[in-house]
Amino acid sequence: MIRIDHVSKSYDGGASKAVSDLTLEIRSGEIFGLLGPNGAGKSTLLNMLAGVLAPTSGTIELDGVSVVDDPLAAKRNLCFVGDSPDHLLRLKGHEFLRFIADVYEVPDDVRGPRIAELAREYGMEGELDNQIQSYSHGMRQKMMIMGALLPDPAIWILDEPMTGLDPKASWLLKQSMRRHADAGKTVLFSTHVLDVAEKVVDRVGVIAHGELLFVGTVDEMREHFRSNGSLEEMFLELTSEDSPFASGSGAEQADERDGAAAPGAR
Amino acid sequence: MARAASQAFSWRQFRVMLRVIRKGEQRLDETGMGLGGETGEKRSGFWGSLGAGARKVAMGFLFALLATVFFMMGVMFGEAGVTPYLAFSLCVISLVGFTVLTGLYQAVNILYFVRDLGYYLTLPVSATTIMWAKLAHFLGMSLLGDLILLPIGLGCLFAVGAAPGVWVAMTLAFALAALAVNLALVIVCVPLMRFSRLAHDKDLFSRVFGGLVVVLALAVGVGSQFVLQGDGMASLATGAGEVLSGGVPAIVMGVLCPPSLFARAVVGGDLLGTLGGLLAMAASVVVYSLILSLVARRWYFEGVQALQGAGGRRGRRVEGSELSRATRARGVFAANLSRDWKMLVRVPVFFNQFVLSSLLMPLYFIAIFAVSGVMGVSQASEAGVDPATLLEMVRSLTAQLGFESPMLVWCAVGVLVFGLFLGFSSYSFTMGVSRDGEDFFFMRGLPMNWSAYLAAKFVSPFALSTAPMLVLIVVALVVLGVPFAPGVYLVAVYLGATATLGLLSLGLGARFPRLTWDNEAQLVKGGGATLMVFAGLVVGAAVMALPALALLGCTVWGVLEAPAALASALTIFVAEGAVLVWWVLGPCARSLSRRER
Repeated sequence: MIRIDHVSKSYDGGASKAVSDLTLEIRSGEIFGLLGPNGAGKSTLLNMLAGVLAPTSGTIELDGVSVVDDPLAAKRNLCFVGDSPDHLLRLKGHEFLRFIADVYEVPDDVRGPRIAELAREYGMEGELDNQIQSYSHGMRQKMMIMGALLPDPAIWILDEPMTGLDPKASWLLKQSMRRHADAGKTVLFSTHVLDVAEKVVDRVGVIAHGELLFVGTVDEMREHFRSNGSLEEMFLELTSEDSPFASGSGAEQADERDGAAAPGAR
Repeated sequence: MARAASQAFSWRQFRVMLRVIRKGEQRLDETGMGLGGETGEKRSGFWGSLGAGARKVAMGFLFALLATVFFMMGVMFGEAGVTPYLAFSLCVISLVGFTVLTGLYQAVNILYFVRDLGYYLTLPVSATTIMWAKLAHFLGMSLLGDLILLPIGLGCLFAVGAAPGVWVAMTLAFALAALAVNLALVIVCVPLMRFSRLAHDKDLFSRVFGGLVVVLALAVGVGSQFVLQGDGMASLATGAGEVLSGGVPAIVMGVLCPPSLFARAVVGGDLLGTLGGLLAMAASVVVYSLILSLVARRWYFEGVQALQGAGGRRGRRVEGSELSRATRARGVFAANLSRDWKMLVRVPVFFNQFVLSSLLMPLYFIAIFAVSGVMGVSQASEAGVDPATLLEMVRSLTAQLGFESPMLVWCAVGVLVFGLFLGFSSYSFTMGVSRDGEDFFFMRGLPMNWSAYLAAKFVSPFALSTAPMLVLIVVALVVLGVPFAPGVYLVAVYLGATATLGLLSLGLGARFPRLTWDNEAQLVKGGGATLMVFAGLVVGAAVMALPALALLGCTVWGVLEAPAALASALTIFVAEGAVLVWWVLGPCARSLSRRER
């Protein structure tokens, strides 16, 4: 379970706020999709959850462990795929996976079969002895996802994980996410692809200007908008400049207008 | 592509492209030693503009300093009786030598290893125009660099009091020679890049040429030891003149640099000879330009396209038990050490700057010692002492080294001075964390043990810089017959000095890392890197000040007995080492665990 409590992140001494007083609880056993336009604060929020950025205020707990107070224990319980797959490019594929397994202290009898299985599933068997820099963008993304899934921690945090993946790999990842959530664990991912969100997520959160505008199921979102339109249309309405939600204080304001958003945030 | 290459040249588009290439192009300098790749880090505002300005001033100052040194060298040539023609011959031969050894790398770096080339090909600009803009840019940059050698000839003219017309003629002749040799280089480079596989493996290519540059620097360093002795300078200039005077060497020079064939007429002849020689030089440059035009139109963009997407050697399929073996478990320290070592070896910039330089440093010292030894033996022979007797005399002196002896204290001071000198290479520790760049932030998302990470960052450069020199020191101690216990003491002082120097440098690099570079060359080039090299001296002085004071307390001020001074120095090093280990693995590691972009 991920518990985010009144978290803010600001830069330049508070002059610019990337995330503003955000409160959200993501339950174990669910896939949560975080939607938002470019610059909405999605990556900042996910980086704070992964311990890469420290919140300016507020607390974050992953399965009861505070990311700020005990980052090492919290990180052992999560895997994180960032928004760029261009990391450790001079390592070969198997060297990268070994490094990740060493850092997560994955035992020998687990890592061997798991690496072989992931490589087979993602079609990377023939590429493991090549340096990551020789991979295409999609292959690098696959390698990052394989590295994230290798230790198989309870919480998965994935920033735009489908970007660059071929249809098969994308389908595989969605299946893995579903299996992980069905096993009572937590998946949080951000995406721009609303179709993906609509089909995969249990609940969705919409973020814009660092504020959480809506939290709930896709059906609740439809009900909220009293619309049979696509998720895309609702998303555009929600995040537009003249959106009634955009200028207020986020989820709390949504709470005042409609019951669907705020109860979902908790 | 043949269709694209046949498109007409547009002067307007040429100027636009040249401006863009000159100002906005990002080249991939994979050795960290070439032209380009020095685009600054992402800084803005006052500090950004100050950084760029400071870099230009520093480069200008360095160029002026080198030019002055070469000018003074030319003056010494003139005063030693070397004629302007011989001095000019030396300039041209040096120019050709440097271009042959390092120019191919520079040419490939500027003409091919450019991220933006693929983008240019999508623009509605003719391929011919892009090609000439690239070539003009390369030739311009090369000419600017080559001009550094001209002051040798001008200095000689100054010494002999030559007329202003001769200065102008020599300058023009040198510019034409430099242009011709660079044209010749590109004429070779273009088909090579089209048909050879070597340059298509960028890492291998960069390592080979990076190694060549480092070896060349070593050769120049060692060679200068000889040249600056006796009449070496005059002999060098005479030798250069002989190379151009006839035979196979003159033919080779004529092919590589046709203007060299007319050098005697231009620099040493009468007015008519000078004008005729300059005309002939210009004609040879025109001929080479036409040849290059033909060659480049045919193969330049084919070579560029062949390079697109070319990577390093492909690996084989790893599976089953081999995969299990290749991914077996290690501790976090070992995992980080292995990762850091692979990065050091596989990134050409880091390999050349941190691995090759460290490994060649002992060779440099061996060469210096060998040169000094040969000269010492030669001088001793002239004085009637044979080498065996000389060595015996030295060994009889070192045999007296003991813990009661002030001589051992002086030796320890010598080791400290040597350690201080090694401060120049301590930036391989300082850069330890910075080398990771954006990868650092990827690792911030992992459950990383930052103490183990920093410990691994210490081991690689320590093994590279300290171990080879340690072998050298031990061999020297054995050859010189230093008794065992004092020898061990000196080794301990050396290890104390290098370890504390490395730890402090690593810690400072961890507290103030530079992680926002786009390519590795930015990290090791420019004002910031130069400043860091010199800062190593300050760091060295900081850790060695207290032990040095203890030793000088015996040798200079006489307030301490030799045993007390020796014991104090070593104890201080141990204490400093303990404090620094705590600082690096504690506060510095914690600061990394909290570092944000």
